[in-house]
Amino acid sequence: MTAIELLDLIARHTREILPGLDAHQFVASDRLVDLGANSVDRAEIAMLVQESLGLSVPRVELFGPRNVGELADLFLQKLDAA
Amino acid sequence: MPPEPVVTAMGVISAIGQGKAAFTKALLEGEPAFGVMQRPGRQWESAYIGAEIREIMFPPEIARQTLRAASLSAQAALVVMEEAWMEARLSDVDPRRIGLIVGGSNIQQRELMQIHETYRHSSAFLRPTYALSFMDSDVCGFCTAQFGIRGLAYTVGGASASGQLAIVQAAQAVITNQVDVCIALGALMDLSHWECRGLRAIGAMGSDRFRDEPTLACRPFDRDHDGFIFGESCGAVVIESLESSRSRGLEPYAALRGWGIAMDGNRNPDPSLEGETEAIQKALGAAGWRPEQIDYVNPHGTGSIVGDETELKALQACGMTSAFLNATKSLIGHGLSSAGAVEVIATLLQMRARRLHPTSNLENPIDPTFKWVKNEPIDHAIRNALTLSMGFGGINTALCWERHH
Repeated sequence: MTAIELLDLIARHTREILPGLDAHQFVASDRLVDLGANSVDRAEIAMLVQESLGLSVPRVELFGPRNVGELADLFLQKLDAA
Repeated sequence: MPPEPVVTAMGVISAIGQGKAAFTKALLEGEPAFGVMQRPGRQWESAYIGAEIREIMFPPEIARQTLRAASLSAQAALVVMEEAWMEARLSDVDPRRIGLIVGGSNIQQRELMQIHETYRHSSAFLRPTYALSFMDSDVCGFCTAQFGIRGLAYTVGGASASGQLAIVQAAQAVITNQVDVCIALGALMDLSHWECRGLRAIGAMGSDRFRDEPTLACRPFDRDHDGFIFGESCGAVVIESLESSRSRGLEPYAALRGWGIAMDGNRNPDPSLEGETEAIQKALGAAGWRPEQIDYVNPHGTGSIVGDETELKALQACGMTSAFLNATKSLIGHGLSSAGAVEVIATLLQMRARRLHPTSNLENPIDPTFKWVKNEPIDHAIRNALTLSMGFGGINTALCWERHH
């Protein structure tokens, strides 16, 4: 899976949780919190991505990424390591 | 003197209609909506009969983001709350002086079951919001967030008397000046096939007799009744003092003159003549009414063989044989947690319409000496009404309503 595909996956699940973002064009520098995702929304998005990837990431590691690009990178690293 | 609680607004949804206008029309036309239930999670090696809401129409004020996360019970709560909120113009009330009491416990069983099934073999991916949604008080969370309620909000449970208990609790919150306005919600009970199976196994839910004729299955007080038939519903009742209602120029539907709660001291599902009689007499005593002053009774009337019989005996024992009687559950089914509130709404809508709705399938009443509204509506201006609920665990509630004039 490429970084772009992973960003698309994160975007898809973010739109699922926040339907108001249907028309938003996601870029790597987007911050979920700035897009209106509260802490519960962010936890839901992260879990949906993990479910789609069949990959379980410890919760503490998900606090690191500062934007969706870094979140995609984290998931890519985990996929490579798996 | 403490303020006397009045009802100033209501919101309702059921299988026969959403909103007071559609609901009233369907009630008075006596058009039930029973069939073999279709909602995912309702059947498993079964063909349970019930009345399901086909589609919920959402007002634009409720965001898609909210609806996506809301359970069926929460979605129904939001739409009836919106209807009642607009009618009572609650945006003009200090949100710190508004309360919400949600009647019902363990109301979201079907959706919880579906989540358990989805994640049975992938528990690591359980949605984090399950931590919120598994609690009934999540409905309080959704509603207080949507409407900005800041006074108080919590749930009360009393099985099938939950809706009436919520009304009593809301009235108490107003009388004791905790808030100026309190909304009582009869929450939608979302049964899974497991609860249906249990309710059938314990002998409460029908219908063996009419398994192939769903429209004939729900028949409270008829000689061929064989148990209650489930129906999805939800209702919101806005309670405040007369003074508070006047400050916003509202015309109340009715005043809550008194209520009674009595326990049987019995965990069983069986009804109790003593308990029901006690609740009715307490309510009449609180209202200061003689039994003959009641001209309409909205009974619990589920279609249970022993329940229907006991309820009529209790009315007889209380000297209440001259009042008109119909059975709202014959048209909308038994909403369990919601029933008490939705039937109060049906009562006050009939009061305002000056017309009583028919009772579906009441061909041969088990006691023909009562003043039944059978298959045709009757013109009658209700003055004083009694509404009754009974729940498993031996709880009985009775409310006395006087038309506002």
